[in-house]
Amino acid sequence: MDPVQTRTVLGQVRRPRREQASDGELGDAVARAQDGDETAFAIAYRMVQPGLLGYLWGLVGDEAEDVASDTWLEIARDLGRFKGDGAGFRGWTAVIARHRALDHLRRRRARPRPGRIEDHVLEMPGVHVTDEQALEALSTEQALELVLGLPSDQAEAVLLRVVVGLDGPAAARVLGKRPGAVRTAAHRGLKRLGRQLGVGREQGRV
Amino acid sequence: MGERPSGHGVPGRAGVHPDGSALETALAAALRGSVLDPAAEQHAVAAFRTAYEARTQRARTRRRYVGRPPAPGRARRPVKTALGVVCASIALGGAAVAAIGSVGPSAEGDSPKSAHPSPVAPDRSAGGTAPASPHSRGPTQQPGTAKDTEAHCRAYEQSGNRGKALEATAWQRLVAAAGGRDKVASYCSERLARATVEPGKQGDQGKQGVGAADSVRGNQQKSAGAAATRPGGTGSASENAGGGGGKAEEKDK
Repeated sequence: MDPVQTRTVLGQVRRPRREQASDGELGDAVARAQDGDETAFAIAYRMVQPGLLGYLWGLVGDEAEDVASDTWLEIARDLGRFKGDGAGFRGWTAVIARHRALDHLRRRRARPRPGRIEDHVLEMPGVHVTDEQALEALSTEQALELVLGLPSDQAEAVLLRVVVGLDGPAAARVLGKRPGAVRTAAHRGLKRLGRQLGVGREQGRV
Repeated sequence: MGERPSGHGVPGRAGVHPDGSALETALAAALRGSVLDPAAEQHAVAAFRTAYEARTQRARTRRRYVGRPPAPGRARRPVKTALGVVCASIALGGAAVAAIGSVGPSAEGDSPKSAHPSPVAPDRSAGGTAPASPHSRGPTQQPGTAKDTEAHCRAYEQSGNRGKALEATAWQRLVAAAGGRDKVASYCSERLARATVEPGKQGDQGKQGVGAADSVRGNQQKSAGAAATRPGGTGSASENAGGGGGKAEEKDK
């Protein structure tokens, strides 16, 4: 089990953001899981969980793993009612993850929210090397801090598009907003991140 | 909310620029969970297993207790229905013929024509179905009442030589009465011709020396004969039932 998992994880991590290539495989796994195939469910888990975790890191910080666990309980429970393909499954699981995250944030509202937005604004020293070095050296913590430094709508749009791998309309459905608004937010967020990392200058306007 | 991004007519999908996609790739690589906790996965799979079992269990329970009258319910009912029909036909047939045998003796003194027509003995012979005297045992050649013998003969003609009819006890008696299996046909045709031509005299012939016991035996034979003459009905019903039940079980899986 472990070797398979490792391979899957590495493949997932090194894969570019577009998930369309694996959506067919994911759709098959989901369909088999709906017929009761545990192995297929595990496959779907390994394909979806990395993106969900990244998304949840952005939403709830260190408690992402706990919220992800709750999320998967709900996914397992409601899988029989899901209808759709692999891309649809990504979107559906992101909606569940978001609801669980918001519940989580509501429960601990009194406390400060360490993982979320605004707290880490632009405390990014030393990233101004060269573009490629900056990107290659980008650690999870740095990337998370950068993303969380964005306005929250931009941060979430970027996470859904880039990390979860949703397309614009799917991300808009998760957020309950119009696709145009989400597209704009993602674009602005990415542009700002690129600026901070010293890439994407040729887009003009600073 | 709906502002245009920076007035560039920027393409909808961010990341089409080389640098943009490099940025997205780097972000995805950094932010996607790179190490998955196997325990978390097992937890999720266990939850999946439990949920799936609960779901199938629920579906089964719902089917069993609430039921859906038209489609799945019908799949099981024919078994009972077919069995009920078979039992009822045997029981009713037996009762009817037994009633003939028992009514006969008591009605003898009053009216020889009061015997009820049995389903096996049609109306044309009913007029002549004077019951036999239960006390006078007839010669072995004529073990049954005239009515029974006629009924046997009709059943014999209807069924031909097929089926199990000739193995039944009463058929053995009919064969014995005719004096041999090959003589049954001529014996019967003679009996039936006499019954048809001289219906009124049937009761007077006095050759019948059979009691209720023989009637009951004849009745058993008739039931067997009846079952044998319409195997299509009950047989196909139970086949349908079996098929339906099979389908229902497949659905369960």
